[in-house]
Amino acid sequence: MSQAPKNVAPTTPYSSADASIRAELSEIDASLRVSSLFFITSAIFWLMAGTILALIAAIKLHEPSFAAGSELTTFGRIRSAHMNAMALGFGNNMIFAVCTWIMARLCRTPIRHGGLLLIAGSFWNLGLTVGIAGIIKGDITSVEWLEIPKYATPLLAISYVLIGVWGIMAFRFRKGEHVYVSQWYFLGALFWFPWLYIVAQVMIIWAPAQGVVQSVTNWWFAHNYLGLWLTPMALGTAYYLIPKVLGRPIYSYYLSVLGFWSLAIFYNWAGVHHLIGGPVPVWLLSAGIVASVMMVIPVIVVAINHHMTLIGSRLNWWKSPTLRFVVFGAVNYTLVSIIGSTMALRTVNMTTHFTHFTVGHAHHGVYAFFAMIMFGGVYYMMPRVLNREWPSASLIRVHFWMCALGILLMVFALQICGWIQGTQMNDAINYPDFLQIVKSTRPYMIIRSISGVMLMVGHLAFGLNFFWMLFSAGAHRVQQEGPTLLISKKEGSKT
Amino acid sequence: MPVENYIDLLPVILLGIVFFGSAVAMIFWSARRGQLRDFDDQAKVIFTHEEPEGEISDHFPDK
Repeated sequence: MSQAPKNVAPTTPYSSADASIRAELSEIDASLRVSSLFFITSAIFWLMAGTILALIAAIKLHEPSFAAGSELTTFGRIRSAHMNAMALGFGNNMIFAVCTWIMARLCRTPIRHGGLLLIAGSFWNLGLTVGIAGIIKGDITSVEWLEIPKYATPLLAISYVLIGVWGIMAFRFRKGEHVYVSQWYFLGALFWFPWLYIVAQVMIIWAPAQGVVQSVTNWWFAHNYLGLWLTPMALGTAYYLIPKVLGRPIYSYYLSVLGFWSLAIFYNWAGVHHLIGGPVPVWLLSAGIVASVMMVIPVIVVAINHHMTLIGSRLNWWKSPTLRFVVFGAVNYTLVSIIGSTMALRTVNMTTHFTHFTVGHAHHGVYAFFAMIMFGGVYYMMPRVLNREWPSASLIRVHFWMCALGILLMVFALQICGWIQGTQMNDAINYPDFLQIVKSTRPYMIIRSISGVMLMVGHLAFGLNFFWMLFSAGAHRVQQEGPTLLISKKEGSKT
Repeated sequence: MPVENYIDLLPVILLGIVFFGSAVAMIFWSARRGQLRDFDDQAKVIFTHEEPEGEISDHFPDK
């Protein structure tokens, strides 16, 4: 276990008067400037589009006549368009920006041929635009998490390969021998995602397997999209940012390695628990349930590491815009994972299956954990890439509070609603009328829409701050008391 | 793709074996390169001369 150093007066490379000290990191940051801006701008676009689509879908659940005049805005299409805009648009663009940057920094090597990265990113967003337009048009595949029509997926696959290669190339040309745990997570995810995507595409879309093999493949892919793509990217980001911002090493590096390999071993088995009760071989379901419970090992390991690193830091994490988001995400990773393992148990699943409980769980994982950590990553990264301060601390606070309270409200509402819904659906004697059960969820659906509005406000604050920073073109470059610590009060007074 | 028995899934199973073999190879590679030793020192590789251990690098202006 590492001893935490005493925190000292803050300074950063960019605040140093010695240009040679700043050179290496500046060169790495500069090599990613254009592509990072492109990916984050794209992510913000998809975030806004995805939130609007989410609000439309959410309102429809308590006001079915809302936006009901066109087949383009039916619930099935809007909900799927929302999910793909968020997962593949917002999520992946954030990953391409933040994780590539951290990878380059840990490898201590600039990214080469950034223009090609930009072209690959453009094709990714083009493919996604075509795909989501196809979903809204009605070409949706009806396979959850793989709704994008067939004609758009090759473009996405090729773009991903091109982008993924950059992460691997940075690793190939790294300086120094040691591979930090964040790099393990990033490399693992870069390795796993193409495997998941290709197998799912082939076995479900291009050469569909028969019968239950399709649904098993579907949930193997869908669950692993979160567990072996979004999760390792977010955990790798947290493993970099928590010790980096606090200036103290991770609590136990040994545990972090154990956490990575146990995630790699157990997670890919877990997805089949979505089919509990379905016509699937029992041994397969049992294997999935066991793996889901075994996931407690990496989760506890990560929880010990992240939370113990914070203990004794005198609430410095709360004073940091970056860590406020990252720690919120890390705490929710622990919670959502433990809840997820519990939901995989047959007795619990009997109540939660086919209810809003699962929807709440998905939002808990993808938003409260993944998205919040990625927001934190952007708050740390952008000032260093642009060498410019965030213009408004108030907007960062609005972003945090609206998103944190909004997502907690949504998760509580959906999971309480889901549990009641599941209990009623299992009690046919006292609740024989299915429509009545559906109607009883309405108050919770209204709360969900309210939480969606709160998230929208938070996203607007984030977008406004980002574009203000981007287009203020140096106005905040030498600000002495910036929202993020690039220039300390003492050092800043010299500039 | 008709799946009558496990033989029909042979291409996918073979691909899976290659994938699993790659993961095992990565563990061996990391062990041979000393990635699984000296954990306390390795936790500090994120700190550099430019961004040393012991410095907080992000906070709100009034904190």
